[in-house]
Amino acid sequence: MIQVNDLRKTYAGGTEAVRGVSFEVKEGEFFGFLGPNGAGKTTTINMLVSLVKKTSGKVFINGLDLDSQSHEIFKHVGFAMQEVGLDETATAREMLELHGRLYHLPTARIKEQILKLLSLVELEKVADRYTSTYSGGMRRRFDLALALIHEPKVLFLDEPTQGLDPHARQLIWNHLRELNANGMTIFLTTHFMDEAEALCENLAIMDQGQIVTGGTVPELLAKHEAKTLEEVFLKTTGSSLGDEQVNLNAPDPYARGRG
Amino acid sequence: MPGDVANQMSTFFSDWYYLSIRNIKQIWRPALALIPSLFIPVFFFLVNSFSLSAFSKVAGFPKVSYMDFIAPVAMFTAIFFSSGNAGIELVQDISNGYFKKLLIMPINRLAIILGRLTEVAVQAVVQGGIVLVLLLAVGVRFHTGVLGVLAIFAMLIVFAMAWSCVSMISALRTQNARLVQSMFVLAFPFLYITTSQAPKALLPPTFAVLASYNPVTYIIEGVRALVLSDWSAPAIWQGFLTAGVLFVIMVSLTLASFRKAIR
Repeated sequence: MIQVNDLRKTYAGGTEAVRGVSFEVKEGEFFGFLGPNGAGKTTTINMLVSLVKKTSGKVFINGLDLDSQSHEIFKHVGFAMQEVGLDETATAREMLELHGRLYHLPTARIKEQILKLLSLVELEKVADRYTSTYSGGMRRRFDLALALIHEPKVLFLDEPTQGLDPHARQLIWNHLRELNANGMTIFLTTHFMDEAEALCENLAIMDQGQIVTGGTVPELLAKHEAKTLEEVFLKTTGSSLGDEQVNLNAPDPYARGRG
Repeated sequence: MPGDVANQMSTFFSDWYYLSIRNIKQIWRPALALIPSLFIPVFFFLVNSFSLSAFSKVAGFPKVSYMDFIAPVAMFTAIFFSSGNAGIELVQDISNGYFKKLLIMPINRLAIILGRLTEVAVQAVVQGGIVLVLLLAVGVRFHTGVLGVLAIFAMLIVFAMAWSCVSMISALRTQNARLVQSMFVLAFPFLYITTSQAPKALLPPTFAVLASYNPVTYIIEGVRALVLSDWSAPAIWQGFLTAGVLFVIMVSLTLASFRKAIR
C-alpha cells in the first residue's frame, strides 16, 4: 500500500533531515514510525503527503507514483497532523461539510458521513459550536474526524495523542483500532512506546534521519535482546534531550532584519 | 479528452465556489470586525468634509463642493482598508496548520487564491455599498448615474483584489501574522500621496510628481470622474487600465509566492 525507496530530504542550509529511508507498509497494516524528537519522522510523513518536497527517492501509495499522481493519491489519503489546524471561525459541522464538498462527495454521502463521524468522535452535542471553543482533546478528536470524511484507504497520523489526557488517548486508540479492523491502512508516527506497542503490528525506529531498526514488537525485542520496546528504543537511538535538532527550514521572521 | 477537461473544470469551479463561501463567512465572524474598516472612511469623510469645506473656494479648485470632491475617496477607503483582511486570514490558516489541510486535498490550488479574491470582492461590495448609502444620504450626486455607480464598484473591486495580494504575498512569504498585520501602514502613503485631498493643480510640485507615480492616484481620479464628470473623462479608462494592470501583476506575483510557499 505504501512503498518508500531511498527517500531523502536535504534542506537549503545543508541539513540532512532524512537520509535514505526505505520501507513498505502492507494493505490493512497498522504501521508505527518511532523516533526521538528531531529524528526526521515529521519530515518523512510530510514528504509522503507532498507537504515537504523530497530531495530524492520514490514514494508509491496505493500503486500510484507521488511524483506524477499526487492529485489522485490525495483522494485516497487522510492526514491528521501534529498541529491540529482548524478553521476557528467555523463550526465542526460546517468544516465537515466543506471538506466533504472539497473531496467532491455527493450531498447525501456527506450528510451520512457527518452523522457517523460526529458520533464516532463523540462530538454530536457540540457540532454546531465554533471549533475555537473546543478543548485540546476535542480538537484532536475532531481533527481525526476531518481526516476521515472521505473514507480514505490510508490514514497518516503524526503524533495524534500528543498532549492528551489518558481518557482522550484511550478514546482515540479505540477509534484507530476500529478503523484498522475495518481495513484501513494506518501510518502512525509517535514517540510514545506504549502507544506503538498497543496499536502497531509493524514498527520502524528512526534516528538522525535513518531507519535504525524495524519489525514486529516480538521481533524487535528478540533482535535487540530487550525486555521492553523502550529498551529497544534507547539501545537503537541512544536518545537524550541534547540530541534534539532545530528545524532549520522553519521561516525566520528576523532574517531580513539581521541583514 | 473533452470529457476529462469538462470534469476538471467542473471540480475547479466547485472548489472555488465552496472555498469562497467559507471565506465569505469569515467576513462576518465576528461581525464587529467589520466596524473598524467602515469607521475609518466614514470618519475621514465627515471630518474632512466639514473641516476642509472652505478649500473648495480656493482658485483652481473644481466647481464642486468639497464633500462631492472627497466622496470618491470615502468609497475608495472603505474598500482599501478592508482588502488586507485576506492576507491576515491566509496567514492565520498558515500558522494554525489549516492551510496544509487544504494542500493535501484533491483540489486545484489556484482555487485557494481565487477563493480569497472572491472574499475580497464580496467585502468590497458590502462595505462600498454601506458607504454609498451614506453618501447618497448626505446629498452626494453621481453624475454618471446607476451605470456609473456600477462602474465605480467594478473598478474598486478589481483594485481591491490587486491590493489584497500585497498582504497575501507577505502572508505566503513570511508566514508571520504580526508582519502581515503591519502591512496595513502601507495604505497610508499610498492613500495620501495622491490627489485624494486636493486636485493635482493645487499640490506642491514635488508632491504632484510623487502622486503621478502612485497608481492609487489613477484609481481615485477614475472614481472621481465617475462621480463628478461624464463618461468622456479620460480618467475613467485610465483608472480601469491601472486597476487591470495591477490586478494581473499582483495576482501573478501571489501565485508565484504560493508555489514557493508550498515547496
